[in-house]
Amino acid sequence: MTTPAGSTAPAVGVTSAAPAAPRRSRRGRASTDASPGPRESAVSRAAAMLVMGVFTLYFLTPIWWLLVSSSKSRGDLTSTAPLWFSDVQLGENLAAVWSYQGGALPQWLLNSLVYAGGGALLATLLAGMCGYALAKYRFPGREVLFNVVLGGVLVPATALALPLFLIFSRFDGTNTFWSVFLPSIVSPFGVYLTRIFAAASVPEELLEAARLDGSGEVRTFFTVSVRLMFPALVTVFLFQFVAIWNNFFLPLIMLRDSDLFPVTLGLYNWNSVVNQLPELRLYVLVGALVSIVPLICVFLLLQRFWRNGLGTGAIK
Amino acid sequence: MSTIVETPLERGTRQRRTRVAHKGSIAVFVVPFGLLFAVFYLLPIGYAVWQSTRVVEREGTFGPPTEVFGGFRQYAAVLENEAFRESVGRVLTFGIVQVPIMLGLALTFALLLDSPLVKGKKFFRLAFFAPYAVPGVIAAIMWGFMYSPNLSPFRSVTQSVDLLSADLVLWSIANVVTWVYVGYNMLIIYSSLLAIPSEIYEAARLDGASQARIAWSIKIPLVMPAIILTAIFSIIGTLQLLAEPQVFASFTSAVTSDYTPNLLVYTTASVPNPSLAAAFSVVLALATFILSFTFLKVTQRKAFQ
Amino acid sequence: MRTTTRAVSVALLATMTLAACSGGSDDDGAAGAGGGGGGEGGACEPAGEDVTLTYTSWIPGIEDVVAVWNEQNPDIQVEVQTGPNGNGGTYQNFFNQLEAGNPPDLGQIEFDALPNFRVQDGLENLGGCEDVLAAEDQFVDWTWTQVTLGEEGSVYAIPQDTGPMAMFYREDLFTQAGIEVPTTWEEYAAAAEQVRESGGYITNFSTGDINQFAGFVWQAGGSWFQNDGEAWTVELTNEDSTKVADYWQDLIDRDLVSSLPGWTTEWDNAYNTGQAWTWISAVWGANSIMTGAPDTAGAWRVAPMPQWEGEGETAGNWGGSTTAVFKGSENVYEAAKFALWLNTSEEALTLLNEAANLYPATTEGQQLAALEEGVESYARQEIYQVFTEAGATVPGDFTWGPTMTQVYNDVSDGFSGAVSGSGTLADALADAQESTVAALEAQAIPVAE
Repeated sequence: MTTPAGSTAPAVGVTSAAPAAPRRSRRGRASTDASPGPRESAVSRAAAMLVMGVFTLYFLTPIWWLLVSSSKSRGDLTSTAPLWFSDVQLGENLAAVWSYQGGALPQWLLNSLVYAGGGALLATLLAGMCGYALAKYRFPGREVLFNVVLGGVLVPATALALPLFLIFSRFDGTNTFWSVFLPSIVSPFGVYLTRIFAAASVPEELLEAARLDGSGEVRTFFTVSVRLMFPALVTVFLFQFVAIWNNFFLPLIMLRDSDLFPVTLGLYNWNSVVNQLPELRLYVLVGALVSIVPLICVFLLLQRFWRNGLGTGAIK
Repeated sequence: MSTIVETPLERGTRQRRTRVAHKGSIAVFVVPFGLLFAVFYLLPIGYAVWQSTRVVEREGTFGPPTEVFGGFRQYAAVLENEAFRESVGRVLTFGIVQVPIMLGLALTFALLLDSPLVKGKKFFRLAFFAPYAVPGVIAAIMWGFMYSPNLSPFRSVTQSVDLLSADLVLWSIANVVTWVYVGYNMLIIYSSLLAIPSEIYEAARLDGASQARIAWSIKIPLVMPAIILTAIFSIIGTLQLLAEPQVFASFTSAVTSDYTPNLLVYTTASVPNPSLAAAFSVVLALATFILSFTFLKVTQRKAFQ
Repeated sequence: MRTTTRAVSVALLATMTLAACSGGSDDDGAAGAGGGGGGEGGACEPAGEDVTLTYTSWIPGIEDVVAVWNEQNPDIQVEVQTGPNGNGGTYQNFFNQLEAGNPPDLGQIEFDALPNFRVQDGLENLGGCEDVLAAEDQFVDWTWTQVTLGEEGSVYAIPQDTGPMAMFYREDLFTQAGIEVPTTWEEYAAAAEQVRESGGYITNFSTGDINQFAGFVWQAGGSWFQNDGEAWTVELTNEDSTKVADYWQDLIDRDLVSSLPGWTTEWDNAYNTGQAWTWISAVWGANSIMTGAPDTAGAWRVAPMPQWEGEGETAGNWGGSTTAVFKGSENVYEAAKFALWLNTSEEALTLLNEAANLYPATTEGQQLAALEEGVESYARQEIYQVFTEAGATVPGDFTWGPTMTQVYNDVSDGFSGAVSGSGTLADALADAQESTVAALEAQAIPVAE
């Protein structure tokens, strides 16, 4: 397999500038912004802003709708204008949902936070180490391992979940924290991403220098390489966090104890007994709103890291 | 896959066949992931393959079931299964239309964000990415409401066109998927645009090339690998559609219990007929693999020659 | 890397071992429980020591009911586990757990799913427990037939709640329009025309609620399955079933009923805005209306289901569940004791009714204080009287099949097609008949042609 010639130039560029590349390129771009060329007419500016504006509506309206709906009473939900407030009682709804079933929702949110936060952290560490080794060391079977791991991305979740349940059953491990947590810390995509980023951003010379200083390989990884791979690691963390937070199929099969549920499964359960207790429909909406807030916070907090790391997957 | 990821650096050193250095450290790096991957990916896959070779036997109406080896009988049943063929056909149609639209939008937004034409980039980036924070199940519930003739905020539209009818519901689902993932794909492409040093098209700018021209002739070819990556993930995601149609089934009778291959797997497993479900899964995984691999081969030839 | 390769091969080896083991454990389970051939009930002896039972149910508020039991029975503690409703995932989980050999001691199973679990050899026969056999008299007749699955001396679950059917109707609208409240299906169709002329629909035919349709067939005296101990007979297209299908097909063809998907907000809306005038539903529907259509409180009344025969007095049943003891439970005696308390004691039945509107399966339970009173939002009509009378007229011989999830899916898929113009309800039943036979055969379950 050959590397396409056309892409060599940017690859080299990234490799040589790697550690500081993201920051530098951002500054570079800012300067081009400041001096727009003569050809960007007011018309094309307006057209571009119009496109962005229209799609902002497209992307945000449903979330707005969720917010508005969560603030209504059950009667108003179906009888008043869907996109505007009437008799705002978000506080009362929140309080009602918060304490419903002995505070089930806060418990589920906490669980999700632990599954997603802890799981994503460990997944990032494991994938980072593996991807780093694949990029920086040569050993027999390396490509085979890499391709097998990539193949893992292709297996449908439904195919994995059922056998996983039976495997955990062998060790009485179902309906435990670990039955959901452990499978979540494997991220084949993370290995892929960190491998590429490590190849591009951790210079060989630096590792040689560390070796000359007598630093062990593992220590070098944790002291030097991790810092260089940081944007990619944040990206892997973010993806895995979202994936675990959104996953409900595995918990659905594994868990029976409501105290262990993540928030998606809890809301799904509520939604499934709406027939018996229709008042739960409003609770599901309010719960949904509450459950996406932490994710938006994570996005905002990690914003300056992930947008640099995201693209690396595809850069040579 | 490995073509995309191979770096010039690796290419240069590939010829050198030396003994493996740093064995111990490599093990420390690789083994934890490798072990977990084996237990939580390879082992279940092996189990599914084994399960797919089993058939059930029993005596009398309430005789206890016993599983015996049945060779490829479940696979024969898969191939004969019309519902499975139809569901695969359905997601393929879905993918052929939805994936290009979604990626086209993602690319357009990424290029706009990367051009000097748009102000307030930070805001748009977050606004477009926000839907990604909404879990698939919840996104589907929200859109289900928004499509309904009586409750939709866009009643004038939904009362004249039934977006949940058998003819349109597939595209209504496509809209949900697009809504959630455009921002995510946009960011992947946008980030690789950012990583291109601006000197590369500085010359073109000085020659007076327009933004559109620069985008078309310089930027798009350079981010082609990112587009291919997002395309492959989208193809995989399409074949594995589950949560969205599952939720839509409660809004409209047009979404049947065998609407997508994964839904059919789940329905079959609930019968319970785990062996047939396993055979479906194995065939589906193989189909996914063949499709993404073919796509990769074709696009590589096209994109890089 | 070699380490990883080894890990992989270890893992693969483990798969084989696992496979072998799980194959073996199936047999062990069956042998240990006496083959499960039916007839004889298993042993039912007290453990003679403190036990802890696990119980899975999706009833909202079940924890509070069980807490009362735990308070009174320190030697038999029950741990509650929850999940989504049966077909929403809990049944699938039960099957997985049975296959893995770690089901809970007790589980909630709806009547229509019992044969499915029986066929998978998942239920402990409580026929050996004297207290259970002695409790038969307390239950409404047909419920007991359902839990014996037609086997003499066997009991596979304790009935919990039932869903006798009646007709909810908008008294105000009928009076205003001067339309008689129908008592037969013929009158119902005639009233449907008049209702349509005044701009409404007499009801909504929800293509997803196949168990409602089954309730209609049940009332008409048909049964979808038969089981003679040797083989199953599938009769989705029997005379009564076809009669019911043709009846509704006619109403659909003439646009006299709407066909919104059930349990959606649109459906709620149709009832809340007076677009739908009646709902032929089960006793638990009383609460669904009040929460789904809050603006119509006070306007609803309950009358017996329309009859096929002018003089008839028969009702169908929609829903209802049981408490079953899963195969492999080591404390069948204690589990049965708890299940009996949960489903027969006034204390538990009152709590279950308060928490989740469960309508008891015992004759005494149907006279709970809460069920005797007039209901506020039904203008103080004593609606539960209607349901109690209906419950006593539910035919006893309706049999559920062993693959009801599949039947519901297939019939529902076909019905959806029928309301959108492709084929008819009867066609859908015919297709489902075929696919059901195929599904049984795929499971090696004997089917009589």
